[in-house]
Amino acid sequence: MVRYVTRKALGWLSMIVVATNATYFLASWFLDPRSNFKELRPVRSEAQIDRALAPYNLDPGVPLVHRWWDWLTSVALRFDWGKSPTGVSVNGEVGYRALVSAELVVIATVLSVVLGVALGVYTAARQYGWADRVSQAVSIVVFNIPASVAALAVVFVAIWLNQHAGLHFLYVAGENSPGVEGLLPTIGDRLLHLILPTLTLTLMGYVGYHLTQRSLLLDTLHADFVRTAQATGLTRSQAIRRHALRAALIPTAASVAFSVPAVFTGAVITETIFGWNGMGRYFIQTISKNDVHGAVATAAFAAALTAIGAILADIATVFLDPRVRVS
Amino acid sequence: MTLTIPLPAPVPPTDAVPVLSVRDLRISFPSEAGTVAAVRGVSFDLLPGRTLCIVGESGSGKSATAMGIMGLLPPTADLRGKVLLGGQDLIGLDDRALSKIRGNSIGMVFQDPLSALTPIFSVGRLLSDALRVHQDLTKRAAWEQAVQLLDLVGIPDPRGRAAAFPHEFSGGMRQRVVIAMAIANRPSVLVADEPTTALDVTVQAQILDVLRLAQQETGAGLVLITHDLGVVAGHADDVAVMYAGRFVEHAGVEELFRRPTMPYTARLLAAVPTVDSGARRPLVPIGGEPPALAGLPDGCPFAPRCAVALDACRSDEPELRHVTGHGHVACLRAAEIADGSLDPTGDAACVGRPTPSRRAEAGEVVLRVEDLVKTFPVTKGALLKRRIGTLHAVNRVGFELRAGETLGLVGESGSGKTTTLLEILRLRRPEGGRIEISGTDVATVASGARARELRQDVQIVMQDPLGALDPRMPVFHLLAEPLRAIGRDRESIRARVHELLTLVGLDDSVADRFPAALSGGQRQRIGIARALATEPKLLALDEPLSALDVSVQAGVINLLARLKRELGLAYLVVAHDLAVIRYISDRIAVMYLGHIVETGDTEAIFSDPKHPYTRALLSAIPIPDPERERTRERVVLEGEQPNAARMPAGCVFVDRCPLYRLADEELRHRCRTEPPVPTSVAGHPGHRYACHGV
Repeated sequence: MVRYVTRKALGWLSMIVVATNATYFLASWFLDPRSNFKELRPVRSEAQIDRALAPYNLDPGVPLVHRWWDWLTSVALRFDWGKSPTGVSVNGEVGYRALVSAELVVIATVLSVVLGVALGVYTAARQYGWADRVSQAVSIVVFNIPASVAALAVVFVAIWLNQHAGLHFLYVAGENSPGVEGLLPTIGDRLLHLILPTLTLTLMGYVGYHLTQRSLLLDTLHADFVRTAQATGLTRSQAIRRHALRAALIPTAASVAFSVPAVFTGAVITETIFGWNGMGRYFIQTISKNDVHGAVATAAFAAALTAIGAILADIATVFLDPRVRVS
Repeated sequence: MTLTIPLPAPVPPTDAVPVLSVRDLRISFPSEAGTVAAVRGVSFDLLPGRTLCIVGESGSGKSATAMGIMGLLPPTADLRGKVLLGGQDLIGLDDRALSKIRGNSIGMVFQDPLSALTPIFSVGRLLSDALRVHQDLTKRAAWEQAVQLLDLVGIPDPRGRAAAFPHEFSGGMRQRVVIAMAIANRPSVLVADEPTTALDVTVQAQILDVLRLAQQETGAGLVLITHDLGVVAGHADDVAVMYAGRFVEHAGVEELFRRPTMPYTARLLAAVPTVDSGARRPLVPIGGEPPALAGLPDGCPFAPRCAVALDACRSDEPELRHVTGHGHVACLRAAEIADGSLDPTGDAACVGRPTPSRRAEAGEVVLRVEDLVKTFPVTKGALLKRRIGTLHAVNRVGFELRAGETLGLVGESGSGKTTTLLEILRLRRPEGGRIEISGTDVATVASGARARELRQDVQIVMQDPLGALDPRMPVFHLLAEPLRAIGRDRESIRARVHELLTLVGLDDSVADRFPAALSGGQRQRIGIARALATEPKLLALDEPLSALDVSVQAGVINLLARLKRELGLAYLVVAHDLAVIRYISDRIAVMYLGHIVETGDTEAIFSDPKHPYTRALLSAIPIPDPERERTRERVVLEGEQPNAARMPAGCVFVDRCPLYRLADEELRHRCRTEPPVPTSVAGHPGHRYACHGV
């Protein structure tokens, strides 16, 4: 098992290296930091701009291969991912924002998987019953609401609740309140800020798991082996849990693992509406501000998450389906 | 060779208390066509150690009865009546209460062993789970018992194999595991729903023996559901015949086969092809189709198909009544039939096959196959496929087929029958050897036009008519398509479709219908008509009857015989049912592991089989006659067909050969090292077999 994971991890590592370097070249060709200076007054000369960019290894006068080699050595030797055109360290930005995003994404993902799978199982076992029909209708409606509308609706409801019920703990903006001191108050404050964005992301995320888990389970629910399990003396729900669900969870486990990077960098709208500085917003900002090093670092971060997701999916598959261990 | 002791005679009825009593069981399902009454009042008693066989065609309600007893029907089903197990009524119990009984006092064996076991658990885990549901055992103790159970049902190396997963077992071995699970907690009642239908005939004999052993071991009463009257004759103590959701005849096995009293039973027995040693009797199809169970009309449901029905039969449904010296029969004329004054098959018997087995005049050679070879690579690795072996699916197979002749290819699954058929139909240069169709070597056909011409001469009829016909095309288009493909004009297509429908005995009115609206027998007739559209010379039939009910089979067999006579067709038939093969073939080729081990005239092979594999194959077929079935000597082959990727150096049959085990050292050496060459039987030049030991 350890050997298997190591082999997989090495394969993914080489994939990340290739993807990141390819991104570096693409970003350098398409993102031009000089255009950031075009609107500044007084108008700067070409030489001035190049001189301003030179300390950050972004001077277009230097051949691309040289800039790439400098960037690569600094990443490989010092793990320094470079600076933005304004001189902000990419490492600091990504490190901070990844933590913020993780806070938001990990809890929301866990909640949507648990809620989605539980609903899928509950409704598949009661196919075409009223609970199935109602929850499916709700899920389809939610599925069709754009993230921005849902997030704004959540904000609206929260404000209304705060005003009418006299609540003050539903924060609609930011990841923390300024001026909170001490460890426990900080954690508490951050958790309160998490409630609404997590709720929005969970709403957006659970539907997919509900609908796919329902149909996956329906496929195995009527399988002969579930009937055999019942014939040995299990109740219907025991037979479903122990025999049908385990087989039906394998594709879900894989899809959860692979959705992690997308959720990390894709929660742009939720982050924007709730004023969170996460990876999603950073990704958009780096591209719009021609921040070559920031965009490359984000891509590398997403690639690393994809690799972690794939390895987690493999581990989950082996855990759920012991047949894999045999071969 | 295992020369098993002849099957025991039926257990005489005793005064023992029944372990299972079913009283007026009624099951119905809601459906779009209205309520389907699947089971309409079934009652029986099952005594400990006895076997009740329930026989019937598909849709007769026999599986619904089994599921109803087990409490495994879908929640939408409506269940009434009484199922008394050890005095406790199971109907009305909730799932939790039923789960304490299922697997504990009543065990079940299912039809399809390939899908009946959870694929992600090892068989040891499945068995110990089954034990631990009802008994307070440690994991280790349950595993030990699981190993013992696997040993009991005849799994070799049970301790090592317990950790293996279901996909690592063959179908027969998986069915043994299912039986082990059913008897794990020593139930007093075993229900087996078509336990051998999905298995090869040689494996069927093994599994029925295991089932009998399991029954002896536990002393359980057995409800055996089957459509195979041969299995009934060999294993039942009592027989219940089901038709349209009711028992129409319920009697002891000897009484039932001596004088079937319900006309349906009698006609069913007359419609089944058998491999009896006696002469071939004509097959009498029942005619018509089993009734649909939604909105059943008044009167006896069999009356529309019955040859001796009276007017009274159509107004009232007869009750199951006791007939002296026989059993219970639901027929108004049971008394007349029981005392022999009325023939229940009526005058239908005269309409049988006019010329049973006249060997057609040998016409021109339509198909010649010489040394045909087909292999498949065995690969390993996910990204880079490495070839680690070769699967020899067909190995130097050769035969010849003339117009007006039928050649039957028989053998267990995996013997290469269908691969041979498909290689011929491909009409391309084979991997090895030659295929010649009407004198043209297919390897020399280069142009597409010539290949299309050749394609007209060779057509196929598939196993499952529902899968083989496009569900979105009406019958007319289905039949017109091959004609359009060869460029016929509209007028001649219209005329030809009409001609084809008449040829296969169907009315013009079916032309507008879709395949789903036709019955199984009608669909297979359309499949045959479609194959005949281009006036082929050779018809390849891949298991043409195995998807059809017994009562419908006979009609299609007779149709095939008539078409061959009238059109001078050559048939190449692949089938696993040897009784059917005997009825339609002039010659037989027995295949084992890609080799033809014996070939010859049908009668020669059936009356004087030479190769030990042919003998075992013939001996494995149950005969629908309790007296002969229970007294004859049977050869039950051990083990299963080996993997064709590891071909033995000598004779392919050596691992399972009964003769090899009795042979002396010198002969054994030859069998192991030297592949036997086909030799002719003295006096019968067409009858050849490949064996060192005969």
